[in-house]
Amino acid sequence: MISVGRKKSREGSRSNIVARSSLLGLALSLPPLLLVFIFVGIPICIGLTFSLGFTHGPNRVISLIGQQIHVKNHWWGTLAAYSDVVHDSRFLGDLGLTLFVTVLSTVLVIVMALAISIYQRLIGGKQASVLVTLSIVPLFVPVVISAWAIHTFYGGDGFMRSLFSQFGINFPTLTSTPAAIVIGSVWTALPFSILMISSGMQAIPDALVEAARDCGAPSSKIIVNILLPLAKTPIIIAMSFTAIGILGSFTIPLFLGPNQPTMLGVEISNFFSSYNRPQQSLVMAFIVFLAASSIAILYVWSNVKSARESGRI
Amino acid sequence: MNKLLNPARLALNAAVILMIFFILGPIVWLAVHAFTSNWQYPDLYPSGFTLHWWSQVFLDSALASAMKNSLITSPIVVLCSMIVCLPAAYAVGRIKFWGRRAFMIGIFSANSFPKIGLFAAIATLYYSLNLMGTFLGVIIIQLLGTIIYMTWIPAAAFAGVPRNLEEAARDAGASKFTVFRTITLRMALPGILVAIVMSFLAAFDEAQGTYLVGAPTIFTMPTEMYSLVQNYPIQVAAVFSILLALPSVLLLGLARKHIMGGQLADGFQLK
Amino acid sequence: MGLDLRGLKKTLGGRVIIDELDLRVTNGEMVSLLGPSGCGKTTTLRMIAGFLEVDAGQILLAGRDVTNLGPDKRPSAMVFQNYALWPHMSAAKNVGYPLKIKGLSKVQINEKVEAALELVKLIHHKNSRPGQISGGEQQRVALARALVQEPDILLLDEPLSNLDAKLREKVREDIRELQRRLGITTVIVTHDQEEALSISDRVAVMSAGKIEQFSSPRDLYLRPATEYVANFIGSINRFEGELQDGEIAPGSGVTGIRPEDLLISMSPVEGSQPGVVELVIPRGHFFEVVVIRRDGKFRIFTSENIPVAGDNVHVKIKRALRYRNGKLIE
Repeated sequence: MISVGRKKSREGSRSNIVARSSLLGLALSLPPLLLVFIFVGIPICIGLTFSLGFTHGPNRVISLIGQQIHVKNHWWGTLAAYSDVVHDSRFLGDLGLTLFVTVLSTVLVIVMALAISIYQRLIGGKQASVLVTLSIVPLFVPVVISAWAIHTFYGGDGFMRSLFSQFGINFPTLTSTPAAIVIGSVWTALPFSILMISSGMQAIPDALVEAARDCGAPSSKIIVNILLPLAKTPIIIAMSFTAIGILGSFTIPLFLGPNQPTMLGVEISNFFSSYNRPQQSLVMAFIVFLAASSIAILYVWSNVKSARESGRI
Repeated sequence: MNKLLNPARLALNAAVILMIFFILGPIVWLAVHAFTSNWQYPDLYPSGFTLHWWSQVFLDSALASAMKNSLITSPIVVLCSMIVCLPAAYAVGRIKFWGRRAFMIGIFSANSFPKIGLFAAIATLYYSLNLMGTFLGVIIIQLLGTIIYMTWIPAAAFAGVPRNLEEAARDAGASKFTVFRTITLRMALPGILVAIVMSFLAAFDEAQGTYLVGAPTIFTMPTEMYSLVQNYPIQVAAVFSILLALPSVLLLGLARKHIMGGQLADGFQLK
Repeated sequence: MGLDLRGLKKTLGGRVIIDELDLRVTNGEMVSLLGPSGCGKTTTLRMIAGFLEVDAGQILLAGRDVTNLGPDKRPSAMVFQNYALWPHMSAAKNVGYPLKIKGLSKVQINEKVEAALELVKLIHHKNSRPGQISGGEQQRVALARALVQEPDILLLDEPLSNLDAKLREKVREDIRELQRRLGITTVIVTHDQEEALSISDRVAVMSAGKIEQFSSPRDLYLRPATEYVANFIGSINRFEGELQDGEIAPGSGVTGIRPEDLLISMSPVEGSQPGVVELVIPRGHFFEVVVIRRDGKFRIFTSENIPVAGDNVHVKIKRALRYRNGKLIE
């Protein structure tokens, strides 16, 4: 009888402990949460209101400084600024370029990362390690320098043109073209994707690959049936991060791209500073955010799905 | 068994060479310029070598002040980041509190908002708070960029400390704090170091936000680059680039074992 | 000839793992490679499967030289130690994979998969994922996946080591029964004596990359060809010296006596010597009695006339094995 009583109080105190730790956990997570809330959450909300025409309170100063500010004419604001932007041919050109560059660069990065990772996984050897190490080098270089280095390499008097002119070939000047943006984006995005995908591939146990070989599968089938499905999560993480990063990128297109059309990241900065049209700048920022969010949702959904499938949640 | 045929081997060697050019080419090309006196297009060789650009950079007041700013703000930012984020990382890694996953996703999504758009929104707020062109403003901006590294990576590191090691220490008579100090913290240290390195670099290399809120009052090394490349000869830009890249190369070189060892990749799996 | 290994040699990391290994397994036979870790049994199995290249020698499966073929081309099928089931595929998809590779139609694959799963009595888990079934069930799926390939030789890598004791016995019997029914040449790698001796037609006891003896379990126990086998298989009383007049006398060579080959009695019998009981250990259905005689300490297995510690008894040596230079002599 005594033991039953004791057991009961033990169970009771266990749920107490869980409740107390929950509180502790929430308390410890507060600082960064607060920081993000104040300096990311609030600006985004305020920025949203500003884009919808709310020009008082925290938006007062910027509304006084900026030009072509549309003030709200409903309780929920106005869509005039959004209409401005969406009908701006400049914006549409930028949007097209941004989406094109993002998709192309992401595809190239993932294909390269997959090729190198699969090669390392199935064949391995010195050359594989060299390729992986090379792919990670851009991680060590700050973006500003990468952009400038690529500019000098592919520019009018850069290495590529110098090299080919030795053979009498007129290699095109790639700087100030979308091609240079793609090159720069791929260059800077490669390390993270390689790290993600190659570690995902290496994590696949040898026995799973050997079992497939024992069943008669050639390398091509092993890649499609075994490696890719099992590395699905890191691949999606790499795709999401890469796409989101390139979507909102600024430095690379600033240094390497044309003036018009340019990537939306550069245009947002232009509109905010140079053209002094902060409201339209924020509208563009939210459009980009929408695109980035949908990609992020894909990442989270994929994570949750795979965790559910393997029985973790 | 897995022997490659000759054409495949040839293609592979070609791929390696192309990669070397693609990855290392731009960096090497720029780096060499830092030591050249004169290099005419379309020569593949400079006319001469010199170190005089280096003294030029160090003697230039604007450039020197940018370097000073970078070296002041970055360590401050990392320190603040550690104070703010590490307790949270510990909580996420060890305490199964309600809202844990939402917290991590929240931090992650905040990072996925296109930076330049975010900075435009922040600049709007800064105007009212009088933070434009101030050191505090710059520090906050750089701090924001470090949060994702200082939460996710140490969280994975803390979560990875085997409980039974801690239990064994408690069993041997150590107090909770001693266990934390000698076992938990020590085993999570590699992950925390990677987070520190990534955060330092995120702060040090932060250009977009610092540019938007700092210019024209405060310039750090990265933002100085934006104007430098237009106003100075390429050799100066090359020297400055090497200086700016140095902390990166050194720190990541030291932490390379842990990054390639998967701490970075592990840190971004949502568990 | 189901399996023929001729002069196999393998060096890994500067160390010679396998040196001049020969093995002949008849068609339909079930044999075990038995030995401690590091003896080379797993290396041998992986060479048979094709995952390791041989440095020298030949491997013939069902009469065909497969030495230079990759694992995907050999008529062998392996059940891996940790089963190696693909976690993202159901049991049916796992089992059907080799058939899919071959290019069979969906209908054919379905038929054969169901037949294989019926064979291992797992048809009810056809659509389950490996993560949803137990270890023993996973093993049966792995077995079905191997059998569905209708291989000329079946390879099992430590099949019972991951199972708990009760399950082990049952699975042992199942494997034996299945193998007898299908008649597939089978090679098992194990470090567990009981496992090897209880289900194999013949056992190859391995040590340091060589086969010490390849015989039936009975022969291994009753006539161990080398000292190593005598020590490895079962228990043995080992003495330096020779047997003379019923007791161990100093001499060259080594004498080994199995614990059941010693007779213990309270009164002297012909050829016995006196001794004192030191220890009596109950071992379930028999007792282990340790007796000190003037020529040494003897461990005796007996299930009758159990003495107690301190008793004066008489011990007779019924049968002894004599070794010179490690080898059995008559």
